[in-house]
Amino acid sequence: MKISTQLGNKKNIKLGAILFWIVIWILAAWRVNNPLVLPSPFDTLKGLVKLTESADFLVAIIVTLIRVFAGVLFAFGMGLALGIAGGLNRFFYELLNPLVVTIRSVPVVSVIILINLWIASSLVPLVVTFLICFPVTWTNVTQGVFSTDKKLLEMAAVYHVSPAKILKNIYLPSIRPYASSALINAIGLGWKVTVTAEVLANALPSMGMNLYYARIYLETDLLFAWTLVIVVLSYLIEKLTIKALKGSAREVAE
Amino acid sequence: MIIEIKNLCKTYDQQMIFDDFSLTIERDIITGITGPSGAGKTTLLRLLAGLEKPDSGSIEGLQGGSLSYVFQEPRLLPWCTVRENLRFVCPQGHDLKKDFESEIDIMLDQVGLTEAQSLYPQALSGGMKQRVSIARSFLVPSELLLMDEPFISLDLDLKERLMELFLSLWEKKKRTVLFVSHDPLEMKKLSHTILTLSDKPVRILKREENKKL
Repeated sequence: MKISTQLGNKKNIKLGAILFWIVIWILAAWRVNNPLVLPSPFDTLKGLVKLTESADFLVAIIVTLIRVFAGVLFAFGMGLALGIAGGLNRFFYELLNPLVVTIRSVPVVSVIILINLWIASSLVPLVVTFLICFPVTWTNVTQGVFSTDKKLLEMAAVYHVSPAKILKNIYLPSIRPYASSALINAIGLGWKVTVTAEVLANALPSMGMNLYYARIYLETDLLFAWTLVIVVLSYLIEKLTIKALKGSAREVAE
Repeated sequence: MIIEIKNLCKTYDQQMIFDDFSLTIERDIITGITGPSGAGKTTLLRLLAGLEKPDSGSIEGLQGGSLSYVFQEPRLLPWCTVRENLRFVCPQGHDLKKDFESEIDIMLDQVGLTEAQSLYPQALSGGMKQRVSIARSFLVPSELLLMDEPFISLDLDLKERLMELFLSLWEKKKRTVLFVSHDPLEMKKLSHTILTLSDKPVRILKREENKKL
């Protein structure tokens, strides 16, 4: 009873905070009084309705979603495999680490412009998302391998347990929380990077280019509506991922 | 057959722990090792287990190299059930798996953990965890069983019961045991031979026959 009341209070506080910022937005839009500069939440909702009436709306969302997922999953898969290899083999770690550190330090815009010089525009967001999300996964996974309980590894060595069994029963469960947090971070980053890359690389069809067109045609309400769609989708996917990860962690524990 | 440690030298953090140390361990008896804290008793077990490399010297008589080890802490996989923890040390080779499952059943029954076989380590008491660790050590057909103060964190009553359990398992599956402890009661109850070691560099101060087989 007490716990449910506390949870209810927490939800009310969250809802209250969101309402507070919407009120601030309404007041700011009313004060500016120019929908071309700052559309109100009502203008944004009207813009959103207008967007949903267009056939391109869903196409842009689906194509951007595919880019985000393809880039993130490829980066995650490679980061997981190479991260485990780097964590287990010091030479491989030292070989790959300077490259990963360099990629991580280069500004996203530089990466996008450079990649755009080398490959087709439609593939730029995917490659850029990979390049941004791979270091996150690699770093987390190698840390996961490094922090694996040495005492368990010693126990396995004493009992002559096979390397495959050690990987499955010691390393992978140890890496799991690190990999989960890497995946959640990569999805968050993936959205931002993919949309930015779509704009800079003129990738069509895409949510990014729709944002860009809304800007050059001074359709600020549509610009806000697209931003709202991105924020909501990003939030939903992040929440779904966390739920799926929690579910699979429970399955393993059971 | 005996296990022989010959002219062992080992330096740790610029401290000479073993300097030309030799020891003969008799087969199929329990040898207790006692001595001051930090003298090198655990290092000796770790050298025998292959977890540390000697600077020089040799360890002879461990042909197959098959070992089991009861550590101070149970060292159980936290994400695996009791049964899965025991299955984890199943010797390699598919033909062994079916036999090993029935071995696990027998062992779980012997250590009184049949009911707890589906529980995870976090749901077990300290004594139950150490019972799993002891069960694991007897489950594999090891030539040498190393035990590093396995009862140290347990209360007296539980310690007594676990020592009885250990002795009953050993009677059924006899093997060479090297057992480190500071507790004279544990030494007296479990060991056939008691070795008292000196401080660094390690020397055997006393070799005492404690109980007959």
